[in-house]
Amino acid sequence: MCAEELDFVEKYDLLGCIQCGRCTGGCPVALRTDLRVRCFMNDTQNEERLEELSEKPEIWDCTTCFTCAARCPKGLEPLEVLIGLRSLQIEEGKVQPTVRDALESIFKDGNPWGSPRAKRLDWASDLEVEVLEPEAEETTDVLLFICCTDAYDPRVMKAAQALVKVLIAAGVDFGLIGDDESCCGSEVRRLGEEGLFEMCDEENVELLNSFNVNRIVAISPHCYNTLKKEYHGLKVPVLHYTELVAELLEDGKLELPKEVAKVVTYHDPCFLGKQNDIYDEPRYVITRIPGVDFREFDRCRERSLCCEGGGGKMWVESESKEERLAEIRVEDAKEMGAEVIAVACPFCLLTLEDATKVKGVDEEMQVMDILELLAEAL
Amino acid sequence: MKDIFVLIEHRRGEMRDVSVEMLSGAAKLGGTVVAVLLGKDVDAFAEKATGYADKVLYVNDAMYENYNSELYQKALSALIREHGPGVVLMGNTAQGVDLAPALAVELNAPLVTDVTALEMDGDKPKPTRQFYGGKLDAHLAMKDADLYILTIREATFVAEEPSKSGEVVKADNPVSEEIPYRKFLEYVEPEVGEVDITQSNLLVGVGRGIREDKNMPVVEELAQAIGADLAASRAVVDAGWLPSDRQVGISGKTVKPKLYLAVGISGAFQHVTGMKGAEVIVAINKDPDAPIFGIADYGIVDDLFKVVPKLVEKIKESKGA
Amino acid sequence: MNMVVCVKRVPDTSESEVHIDASGKDIDKSRLSFGINECDNYAVEEAIQIKERLEGAVTVISLGSKESDEVIRMALAKGGDEAIRLEDDAFAGGDALAVAKALAAAIKGLEYDMVFTGALTDDDGYAAVPVALAELLGVPHATYVKKVEILEPGKKAKVGRELEGGLMEFLEIDMPCVLGIQTGINEPRYASFKGIKQAAKKEIALKSAADLGLDVSDVGEAGSWAVLEQFTPPVVGEMAEILEGEPDETAAKLAAILKEKGLV
Repeated sequence: MCAEELDFVEKYDLLGCIQCGRCTGGCPVALRTDLRVRCFMNDTQNEERLEELSEKPEIWDCTTCFTCAARCPKGLEPLEVLIGLRSLQIEEGKVQPTVRDALESIFKDGNPWGSPRAKRLDWASDLEVEVLEPEAEETTDVLLFICCTDAYDPRVMKAAQALVKVLIAAGVDFGLIGDDESCCGSEVRRLGEEGLFEMCDEENVELLNSFNVNRIVAISPHCYNTLKKEYHGLKVPVLHYTELVAELLEDGKLELPKEVAKVVTYHDPCFLGKQNDIYDEPRYVITRIPGVDFREFDRCRERSLCCEGGGGKMWVESESKEERLAEIRVEDAKEMGAEVIAVACPFCLLTLEDATKVKGVDEEMQVMDILELLAEAL
Repeated sequence: MKDIFVLIEHRRGEMRDVSVEMLSGAAKLGGTVVAVLLGKDVDAFAEKATGYADKVLYVNDAMYENYNSELYQKALSALIREHGPGVVLMGNTAQGVDLAPALAVELNAPLVTDVTALEMDGDKPKPTRQFYGGKLDAHLAMKDADLYILTIREATFVAEEPSKSGEVVKADNPVSEEIPYRKFLEYVEPEVGEVDITQSNLLVGVGRGIREDKNMPVVEELAQAIGADLAASRAVVDAGWLPSDRQVGISGKTVKPKLYLAVGISGAFQHVTGMKGAEVIVAINKDPDAPIFGIADYGIVDDLFKVVPKLVEKIKESKGA
Repeated sequence: MNMVVCVKRVPDTSESEVHIDASGKDIDKSRLSFGINECDNYAVEEAIQIKERLEGAVTVISLGSKESDEVIRMALAKGGDEAIRLEDDAFAGGDALAVAKALAAAIKGLEYDMVFTGALTDDDGYAAVPVALAELLGVPHATYVKKVEILEPGKKAKVGRELEGGLMEFLEIDMPCVLGIQTGINEPRYASFKGIKQAAKKEIALKSAADLGLDVSDVGEAGSWAVLEQFTPPVVGEMAEILEGEPDETAAKLAAILKEKGLV
């Protein structure tokens, strides 16, 4: 470890912390794990303790949902301290095998799922899609940035397929990257693999800038957040798909002729809501679907409960045996009589759908991406 | 045709099945079958081998009480040089693999390991073996040589009833002294855990397809619904998702349950060897070409994460009905 | 303690369909992911753990084309010190003994106490390289090794071999020696990107057959006794009865079969 890495105090402005405890107080995983982020804000001021602190298993419980930062009266970002501790473990090579395999797979094949790059576009094999050429003369309006999970996970790819159908129905001029598309690195950074994230940043920015497009639309809030806020030098604006679809509906370009007579609630993804203030567009889109009876969670918008799918948690199992947050979410949805929990994020889709199975309500309740609801209304 | 040497494998007072299998298979290749037995006071094995071999070459010496590759190599190379067989067969076992390649280098002989089918073209073998974890058969052509060394996968040949009455020839030990650089110390039994899967009637075997530790509840629920115990392939045990006493296969347990439900197991022979004796084998795997379907009675080609939860449901229903 | 680790870059076919290509002698690798051979990954970790405990150096050797640099660099990033890649068109198509010959020629000139290789490869699965290599180097060996304890650095080790049924055979072996490492012996670490970047600065020495003093007729297909004639799909017994339909239907069919047979 070199000196600059150890300078936690400066890097995370730890002396600014007043130990008010609002971070731990708001932390959703504090409900079910030993993670007390306020303690880390204090303890990491002692450089000699960093190694010991980085070996604590609870640093891997953080989902990087951003609640602690959103609530910090001093404007600090406590979650980043935990990511910093993770990076010390990464440098030592001491990570869980599942994390190791996911990161190695991103390094080798551009995705965390251990799948070959050549299979990246298999999800779209039955669809009419255009793969964009770099440096094309003609401008394409929208470049779709497909998340690795949408591309490879058999369940989640249905959302990506629905997105393509929606865009075709709305007559949008769009294209895909194809096999050259690589992981955005959002989870990479949050797992503490700074170096690999820098590679994702550099290579993706170069790749994305090579396309002649007006804007980039990301299907996952995680990709969206990273492309928009963490990349360096991207030339065109980045949107989340809910923003694009809301625009298409508003402009009358997307028509939804069929009724979807279901009681639907919406779970705010942390990376769309808390971290990017996109609360209205998803709700607008859902409520424009004919027949939908929309109901809100009690804990919604900025108070929304995290599903525990982010921050690298797809590859880290918490030691806690307490009820998962996604299960609490499913119970709440059941109580309000929801037939569908609509989501706008691949991780939320997976964690909540798992939770419906654990809770034994997967017969009466579906977890669907908003895109799948839209596809049903076409 | 030149003689065929078959190395008899034994350990801790037991002659291993692969020995009789190889003798039975060698008898069908034509030529004289010579069983080679190195051991300490293992006359009973020599006697048994006479039922399958034309001749049993038996070296009885205390130094062969436990297998040691260096001693075996010295003895075998001397016997081969003296008797000039055309083919030497050994088991493709932890013993054979530890020995055959060194012997082949020393004698400058062709070597093919893990042979799964064997024909002869005169004195020249035409072996078949598998590549890519059993996903392909590779048919090999051998160049001309005076001697070929092959290691044979277990259960490649079927053990027949004894039909020969060969003679036992006691050979002098060609090795004069113990070697100092590799010494046998001891055998250590694997640890026994809370569940003895060799005694289980119903097993759910889980393989690499489960992908992650946190997916284990998917198969745990299935096992619970059926009332089965969980077994595992090597990959799952190496990853630490189940303890090593749940491992089925060559380096794990051999099981013969009434039902073996293989979930996310491709069916590499290392695993299959340990469970093919199950009465009913069911496989769930997304790869339609997975070798497991070749030995299963029933198969579902699909994503296990889609099928298994449904299966749990249906089984619960049928139990309730 | 100076150690050498031999690694191979192989396609990962464990969860992928494998298709024979037009030549009938190779597979279509265009839709496969590549990486370090599984056992070799454990071999690298074992060498590096010993280095960390006892000091010394680890040399990584791989026989393969330029793409193999990736697995070499990952091993260097984990703690390897030097690297050699054996590259020559003449090495192509070699059987296990031919591969061992090339590796032995490269290792002969090095100072080493232990050589680690994976016990077997995921592609051809010969499992013959470590033992043949030891014989070519004229040193003792053990393969299917799942436990290594250094008794006297540079002199003696206690080694556990994994036999059938999980039985362990312990033996004492003199150094220098060659050990074929089995999976599960340790938990391979992660090679951070920063580490790989730093490792990229290390030179990978390239050696051709001629550099190693080998005649091209001794290596590769020319130097192999066994030559691949053709691949075929494996002969299977009677195929399983495949239950068709959506997960709902297949699960229902299977549940019915299990019930009928009195298994649930």
